[in-house]
Amino acid sequence: MRLHEVGYRYSRRGAWVLRGVNVGIEPGDIVVTRGGNGAGKSTLLALFAGVLRPVVGEVYDQPARIGWVPERFPTEQPFTVAGYLSTMARLRGVGQAAVERWLSRLSLAPLRNERLSALSKGTAQKVGLAQALLVPPDLLLLDEPWEGLDIDTRELVPDIIDEVLDAGGAVLVSDHSGDTGHLPGVIEWAVVDGVVSVVRPGKRSQDKREAEA
Amino acid sequence: MIPLIKMRLLGYLRSGRFILPLIAALVVLSASYGGGRSSAASAYGTSALLLFPILAWQTKLLLDTEPDGQRRLVLTALGSRSREVTAGLLAAVLAAVPLILIALVLPWIFDAVTTNDAGAGVLLGLWVHAIVTPAAIGIGAWSSRVISGSAGRATAVLTTTLVLAFVIGLRGSPVPWLAPPLVSTARTLDGTATAAAVGGLSVWALAWAAVAVAGYGWLRRSRA
Repeated sequence: MRLHEVGYRYSRRGAWVLRGVNVGIEPGDIVVTRGGNGAGKSTLLALFAGVLRPVVGEVYDQPARIGWVPERFPTEQPFTVAGYLSTMARLRGVGQAAVERWLSRLSLAPLRNERLSALSKGTAQKVGLAQALLVPPDLLLLDEPWEGLDIDTRELVPDIIDEVLDAGGAVLVSDHSGDTGHLPGVIEWAVVDGVVSVVRPGKRSQDKREAEA
Repeated sequence: MIPLIKMRLLGYLRSGRFILPLIAALVVLSASYGGGRSSAASAYGTSALLLFPILAWQTKLLLDTEPDGQRRLVLTALGSRSREVTAGLLAAVLAAVPLILIALVLPWIFDAVTTNDAGAGVLLGLWVHAIVTPAAIGIGAWSSRVISGSAGRATAVLTTTLVLAFVIGLRGSPVPWLAPPLVSTARTLDGTATAAAVGGLSVWALAWAAVAVAGYGWLRRSRA
């Protein structure tokens, strides 16, 4: 998937949040975007998710299955954890088995009948993670995925990223914490004043092949 | 798309937002039917006119129930903006059905109709509510948060559009076709509704609704 000369602003008279963005992500890539608050990282992820459309520029080769974990999961919904994930699974065309798998894996099973509005921030983030993984994504977008998560789940996220990459998917992470820095082959983008630049090129699949050799 | 329609209807019901439009419909229709007896055509012409703003308001409430973040997650899950938009509009159509049924039944409960042929009267009622509902849903969709932004602007869009829909449609208006045929339909049903008049009003109402809904769909291309 590639953004070509993409610019985005939220209103006609508003300031440009992103300008002249020329970046791409390929299967097997893991990319981490860094930047200060309000730099435009979440906007960049929303453009990759297809949720926002560029005001100028083009988006090419958007993958079919995108899993997006927003920075804040919307809990103001009158559904239980299991009811919500079941509906999202039906929207994605998968059955209850996928829901049960992620309820169990993210330790959400005891909270299956809890209302979304009653969840803590960390638990809500787990539900956000689960809904993005109900189908193996071609592109997984993680917006500050470690925010509020407990230790066990924080340790699980790199494993999940690895599984997506091994299955031929790509992962784009917005990360303040630096937890993704140790992953092999991480490509690093910096978002500064609306401009995205490649700070550290890399290729996980290539690195992995070299490591195995 | 069906799971999404169901999700949005369930969210609307469980949030309790349906109560206010329901109460408003019961109050205005009861007041209308409590005033005296008339033909079924006249009664239903009036009820469609009264229900129109309530259906528009209900559409706005329904579409606004889902948080913006969830609407965006739905978009990534479906991978199709048109299906997401269509599901919202279809949910609004289904939410309108109970209010329309109430409007169809109430005049008989209040013994407010003089017509002997109940079947023909109810059919006429079904027709008039069916032609005004899509236009009401179109106006409601335009005033929803994803299009109008702030609550103040959304309320202004809803009230202004509704007032204009009535005012522009009044007798003597130079541009009555700019509004959905609310007043014209009520006026026609108050007199003699010929097949030609029914056909003409149907085409007018549905064409107006098609333009409103298409405009909403066009705006939604860049708004999630």
